[in-house]
Amino acid sequence: MRIRKIAGLALAAIMIAVLFAGCGNGKDNSQSGGVSSPAAGESSPGAAGTDKPAAGKAVKLKMWGGVPPEAGPQAVVDNFNKQFADQGISIEYERFVNDDQGNMKLETNLLAGSDIDIYVTYTLDVLKKRASGNMALDLTSYLEKDKLDLADNFGGDMATSYDIDGKTYAVPTKIDQYGIVINKDMFDAAGIPIPTAWTLDEFRDIAKRLTTGEGQDKVYGMFFNSQQDMFYPFNMFAAQVLGGDVFYKPDGKETNFTDPAIVKSIGTVAAMMNEDKSAPSHVDSVTQKLTQEGMFLSGKSAMTIGPWIIRSIKDTTNYPHTFVTAFAPYPTPERKDGLFTQGGLGDLLSINPKSKNIDAAWTFVKWYATEGMLPLAEGGRVPAYKQFDKESIVKAFVSGAEDILDAATTKEVLIAPKSNYAVPKISNKLPEIKKVMGEELEAIYIGKKSVEDGLAEAKQRADALLK
Amino acid sequence: MKISRQLRTDIAGYSFIAPNLLGFLVFTLFPVVFSIVVSFTDWDYTQGFGSMTFNWGHNFVEMWSDKWFVSSLVNTFYYSFTVVPATIFIALVLSVVVDKYVFGKTPIRLAMFMPYISNIVALSIVWVMMYSPFGPVTQLVKSFGVDDPPKWLGDYNWAMPAIIVMSIWAGIGYAVIIYTSSIQALPTEHYEAAEIDGATEVQKFIKITVPMLSPTTFFLVITTFITSFQVFGQIMIMTRGGPGTSTNVLVYYIYTTAFSFYRMGYAAAISWILFLILFAITIVQWQGQKKWVSYT
Repeated sequence: MRIRKIAGLALAAIMIAVLFAGCGNGKDNSQSGGVSSPAAGESSPGAAGTDKPAAGKAVKLKMWGGVPPEAGPQAVVDNFNKQFADQGISIEYERFVNDDQGNMKLETNLLAGSDIDIYVTYTLDVLKKRASGNMALDLTSYLEKDKLDLADNFGGDMATSYDIDGKTYAVPTKIDQYGIVINKDMFDAAGIPIPTAWTLDEFRDIAKRLTTGEGQDKVYGMFFNSQQDMFYPFNMFAAQVLGGDVFYKPDGKETNFTDPAIVKSIGTVAAMMNEDKSAPSHVDSVTQKLTQEGMFLSGKSAMTIGPWIIRSIKDTTNYPHTFVTAFAPYPTPERKDGLFTQGGLGDLLSINPKSKNIDAAWTFVKWYATEGMLPLAEGGRVPAYKQFDKESIVKAFVSGAEDILDAATTKEVLIAPKSNYAVPKISNKLPEIKKVMGEELEAIYIGKKSVEDGLAEAKQRADALLK
Repeated sequence: MKISRQLRTDIAGYSFIAPNLLGFLVFTLFPVVFSIVVSFTDWDYTQGFGSMTFNWGHNFVEMWSDKWFVSSLVNTFYYSFTVVPATIFIALVLSVVVDKYVFGKTPIRLAMFMPYISNIVALSIVWVMMYSPFGPVTQLVKSFGVDDPPKWLGDYNWAMPAIIVMSIWAGIGYAVIIYTSSIQALPTEHYEAAEIDGATEVQKFIKITVPMLSPTTFFLVITTFITSFQVFGQIMIMTRGGPGTSTNVLVYYIYTTAFSFYRMGYAAAISWILFLILFAITIVQWQGQKKWVSYT
């Protein structure tokens, strides 16, 4: 009897201990760094026996990224291991799923010990969290030592906008440049040349000419994908005139929703949806859950808003199609010089500060950013490093889809680096402002409010939030 | 020192409930208390605990001039005061009909119960298809001769009714099961007496079944009110509160303020208002039950 009671007590005590340990862990680690990894050390004494590997001793690095290994990373790792075999550095790649849970798994591992040396972050806000939580190494001194200036080499102002408090915690390795995706066969059939610069009016006119058929057989000129994101006309069209902070007046104290560039952009989209009917209406997009793949790749629209579906375009097994896809820059609200280009950096490569092989990890990061990541271009990831050989990027980018991707416009629109990127800097009350704007945009797209009224009301409501 | 027998029994007892009690303390009581504290602060949780500043009752004052909050409150009342009566009325009629007149009761009850035990996300996705322009609901309405059927989830006035219909369908199985078990437990004497007096089926339903089921109805009114005030899954999947604010309900707005606007304090304050509303409604119902619930 007594033994049973004691056992019960012991069990309860263990449960308490486990509960508290479970709750305490996260905080302990983030404050005290890598104190709590004795278990890892014990289980692999060979690997963690010495803090610094002696020269000539093999160093094995571990990298975590969100891209499936077969989509490029495995080839990258193999190349590196071949090229750096004589220096005794090798690397292994492991994929984490880039969602909330996957990122939490990554962070738990980073906090718990030194198992991961290099990892990829995909958005700036997550990077900020990791930098402040001692999960990312300050790379500033390494960049200086190797004379690798981020602004000069990786997309100008945009690269340094990823700095946090003036320090660099990650190397942005990928650049995204977008443009209108075009069904070249339809353009050719209609005798329309692929535009290299065009205004919204010209764009609207072309979309109208490309719209044919009725009912289920209708082919639209354009698809705006508004059910996924209503803000494309801001970020893709108006930002070319207004720059990255397209929602705000330059001082950030007032919204910019009644600016002529915005009125023109939204007005064109609404008119194409509701008057010309040269693009599926917002309601149709929402209620039918239309997708870019479903519209563009099945030939139901001649143009679509964004080339981030490049992997689907190259995937003729799941999305069988034979037409040639080309690209054009986004149409501009007005014709003038000194316009901004839409673009963004990504695939932010960081080093775990608890890594035992930081120097080797830096060697890899530098190699990856400046030459190693080429195999990822096949999956549509364009290296951000300016000195990268453009022809080899284009070749990798279109490989396997040479007959359905137009190489010349791919290079011109998606790969060749531009100047004067639109870089967002202000984010004051942005989620609230976007909610206001989203509601008014919906009313405009559905036809409940006129463009002018909707935008004026959005401005009034959003400005009230900024006060 | 010798431990007294009483103390030993106490220790044993507490150690048995300790795992459960601890779980309750850590995962329920602590969050509840903490959310009271948070509701009196401004707190962007992405900035850590350091960014927490007390603003006392400001959150509770601010919300009444917040149009989003007020509209979400109105929408929640609209939703609940439609879903609850409709669910209970339809469930009552269905259970009686199935119990009395239907051949093969078990498969039918099972079919009605299936949506209740299915994942709301899966159900919502299916209903998005049902309401799409090429979906069965739209086609059905068209076949009745309506040329231009509403866009359902894409329409300011129809989105909420569309979600209400779907929610009633999804939640009715539970009420039917509860009613059925009560109906089966009803004594037969009253019905026999009524038959001797020549009562019709409708009379028996209204004069005997409904009053005798009133304790069950009372229970269902309270529980379905509480769950319907917390509607979230359908809204999240089917409309995200849109179009405009037409389906923005309280819990969805709490979610928005906490996880899009990062305003934990404000979200906690709204949660407490939601609790107070539910509490008030439940109290009113407890008071009101004396008038219509009979336990004899």
